[in-house]
Amino acid sequence: MSLFEIKNCKKNFNGIKVLDDINIKVNEGEVVAIIGSSGSGKTTLLRICTFLEYMDCGEMSYLNEKIVTSEDGIARYIGQKELSIDALNKNKELVRIKSYFGLVFQNFNLFPHWTVLKNVMDAPISVQKKDINEVKEKAIYYLKKMGLEHKTNSYPCELSGGQQQRVAIARALCLEPKIIYFDEPTSALDPELTSEILKVIKELASEKRTMVIVTHEMNFARDVADRVVFMDNGVVVEEGKAYDLITNPQKERTKRFLQKYD
Amino acid sequence: MINIQDIILKVFSGAGATCIIFFSTIIFSLPLGLLITFARMSKFKPLSIFAGTLISILRGTPLMLQLIMWYFGPYYIFGVSFGLAWRVPAIIIGFSINYAAYFAEIYRGGIQSIPNGQYEAAAVLGYSKSQTFWKIIFPQMVKRVIPPVTNEIITLVKDTSLAFVVTYTEMFTVAKQIAAAKTTIVPLFVAGVFYYIFNYLVAFIMEKIELSFNYYS
Repeated sequence: MSLFEIKNCKKNFNGIKVLDDINIKVNEGEVVAIIGSSGSGKTTLLRICTFLEYMDCGEMSYLNEKIVTSEDGIARYIGQKELSIDALNKNKELVRIKSYFGLVFQNFNLFPHWTVLKNVMDAPISVQKKDINEVKEKAIYYLKKMGLEHKTNSYPCELSGGQQQRVAIARALCLEPKIIYFDEPTSALDPELTSEILKVIKELASEKRTMVIVTHEMNFARDVADRVVFMDNGVVVEEGKAYDLITNPQKERTKRFLQKYD
Repeated sequence: MINIQDIILKVFSGAGATCIIFFSTIIFSLPLGLLITFARMSKFKPLSIFAGTLISILRGTPLMLQLIMWYFGPYYIFGVSFGLAWRVPAIIIGFSINYAAYFAEIYRGGIQSIPNGQYEAAAVLGYSKSQTFWKIIFPQMVKRVIPPVTNEIITLVKDTSLAFVVTYTEMFTVAKQIAAAKTTIVPLFVAGVFYYIFNYLVAFIMEKIELSFNYYS
């Protein structure tokens, strides 16, 4: 089943094309890695998928439910008339759709004034209005899974970068999303902490969780992802089975990019 | 010759009036400042321009002048006179609105210093705009604005003496009267000691509050 689909997505920033005709489909249980050099539009794409940014043209659906349709070539979000970030933030329809996905940021973005446990527990309680005891049980379960059960009462500033990122992953998991996006989850970490986070994501992949990961870790993409999408200059240059694309790229541009990682 | 104890007692008899101005201003201006910040940061242009102009005028003119305006304004502009009963309310309104303008700008700085990632994380998690502000942004803002707010509060303690311009007998007015009547500088010195002790306490309390936010960084 297709969990997420984006079609003909276009995005301009002040007249500069950032995304041009992007088509990506993510099936249930699939791990998709998006690779490409900086400025290729990977992060913008994730931000559009998570409603942090709007697309100018194209279509988007979650669980076959149409979220963005194309009207006269212009994107139209359900439940809103104008195209702006403000309108996206105010859109009540999108709040429900937001429960389908989670996003793990490059620089964690934990709430510094809350304990680890509160960071993980608060959204399910105050956004999804779930029962506090139920949520607490689940939060502790996910923190344990992240190897952080002894840190529940710590504050983010007392944790290492790797630990903070694991809290962020637990925070995303606790909302039980259908699909988790990772925006360069290891770029702010040193090699040791990077492997710590990659191990966690690998574990999630083995549970058949649906994930879309923007990453610069080619070996990780090759070994963990099912599919790899290579982006350059706002377009998808090549897409294919992870192992094939990384070890035997077809397009010239992909080859040049991957050579730098050898 | 008047003795020192008498001077101290007399000067301190004005301390109550000083405290009334001080505490009333704190109670009204701290929340009022937040309202002005909201107006100033509003996406509705006329409101933000109005708030910006208001702040500009309140900060750009002497508080002493503003106090005179609040006290005598109703009479000269509208021809209504509330008499002496209007004096304390006029002083409190004048002080509160003036200080609210300063607090508003401090709050705005505090809010704008919070990284965008906090808003983005909140948006993706599904928090509403008001939840995002009250649960995530506001508590972090409070921590950041304590040092500059402390500065303003200390200034306020000293500014209370400006109430003399509408002939309100707070402590400094009393001290000046005695000093003039008895041709001695001692009452003014006593008043100075009072302000210093008051501000010492303010700084002490604010430091305790600041420390109570040190559990995170």
